[in-house]
Amino acid sequence: MFGNGLIKGLRITLKRFYGPNLTEYYPEVKPNLPPRTRSSMALEPEKCISCGLCVNICPNQVINLTSEKDGNNKRVLKTYHMNIGRCLLCGLCTQSCPTGALRLSQEFENAVYHREELLWDMIARSKRSNKPSGEEG
Amino acid sequence: MIIDGTQEYSVNMGPQHPSTHGVFRMVVHLDGEVVTNVEPKIGYLHRGLEKMAESRTYNQFVPYTDRLDYLAGPHNSLGYVQAVEKLMGIEVPERAEYLRVIFAELGRVASHLFMIASGSLDICGWTPWSYCTRDRERILDLFEMTAGNRMTLNYFRIGGVSHDVPDEFMPALKSFLDDMPEMIEEYYGIFFGNEIAQSRMKSVGILPKELAENLLITGANLRASGVQYDVRKAEPYGIYNRFNFNVPVLYGCDTYDRHFIRLLEIQESRKILQQALRDIPEGPVVAKVPKVIKPQVGKVYHRVENPKGEMGWYIVSNGTTKPARVRIRTGAFVNVQMLPAIVTGWKIQDLVTIFASMDLVLGEVDK
Repeated sequence: MFGNGLIKGLRITLKRFYGPNLTEYYPEVKPNLPPRTRSSMALEPEKCISCGLCVNICPNQVINLTSEKDGNNKRVLKTYHMNIGRCLLCGLCTQSCPTGALRLSQEFENAVYHREELLWDMIARSKRSNKPSGEEG
Repeated sequence: MIIDGTQEYSVNMGPQHPSTHGVFRMVVHLDGEVVTNVEPKIGYLHRGLEKMAESRTYNQFVPYTDRLDYLAGPHNSLGYVQAVEKLMGIEVPERAEYLRVIFAELGRVASHLFMIASGSLDICGWTPWSYCTRDRERILDLFEMTAGNRMTLNYFRIGGVSHDVPDEFMPALKSFLDDMPEMIEEYYGIFFGNEIAQSRMKSVGILPKELAENLLITGANLRASGVQYDVRKAEPYGIYNRFNFNVPVLYGCDTYDRHFIRLLEIQESRKILQQALRDIPEGPVVAKVPKVIKPQVGKVYHRVENPKGEMGWYIVSNGTTKPARVRIRTGAFVNVQMLPAIVTGWKIQDLVTIFASMDLVLGEVDK
């Protein structure tokens, strides 16, 4: 009979209408992302040995770092910049990092108003995120 | 001024039209509301991926492969990494092979679900859209917990996969597979069995078998035109020859069949996933490959069955760390040419439905 399919469809819709709610209340309730989620980058400058592996492996030349030699002829990290607007968040840099200084983080609210703000000074960011207030910059 | 008679009228549909699934432009020639011809205009999403491959090392290009058909990322990477492995003669560990099949088939299910969802949306069916995307979300969650991203996974590596799956992955996948028959019944009840949807799609946009073969159409669109051809069966790659599954084929050649065959393929993918889940062994997930990938001089062609059609990777190596030439044959790009052939004579509302049934992704068309 013509119309059977429509009635069946409406029955399914009604069943779901009185079923559990599946949507998330996003800005009020933050999602619980899995630990492997790649949505942002974080650096621990004291662990970094300035080897430059992350710079070489990056497919898009996102990372720019400079280092200087200290009294013991050991390389020390001076600046570490990431042009995050070009970053694919592929995670190749974190996999290549021998000391685990560079890692992916789960902060996902990275939208900014100006393109210049996408040039991240990773050392400054790490200092900010270590502050007890936890204010993200 | 009053013009005697009627004249042909040309309008642009796209590149920002919501029904073009990306940035696809059609110049539609109309006689009243009847389509007399369509000229597809492509290239708005051209990123030069083949050229990019030539300026990056073999490993560095893997993240980009996910961005070809972004609705089914894993299968593109599968084609690329298997092509490089074929060139270098790398043996992949058993567990990695099974994980690759699991991810590739999950990607196929996700892509087909999205196709059904957007196809229903194009004939103003909002409810099937939310039902299909609800279930696709579970697949994306599985991807995210393993690879870290939902669509552009970057999970496959030359020689294996990047990580093993977390402990909670297998139970979650099993419960998803157990729920699948109920989901499929629901899609049938709400969309495929609906008389309004059927009257919009049945006998609309016929692609005859001979025309499909002559235009080199591949993938589900070909199988909906009565040709039983699937690269997974015709030339099994990876470990696909170990799985017992059928290649569904329909003979209606119309828009409805091109949608419905996706539902049948989801059921076949479920069979593959169940077998993979049953047989997956323990062990390493990545082979011992040199840190610097440097294949010997030579060339290779490898093809896989992408959800959108047959995907081929032609790689020429000159013995350095970067490929000398990469050519990507994508199914969606070749499938575009069937549009003018099947849409002529239909109304402009049918053009939207017919276009949706072709299941194009512009990342793959424009590369």
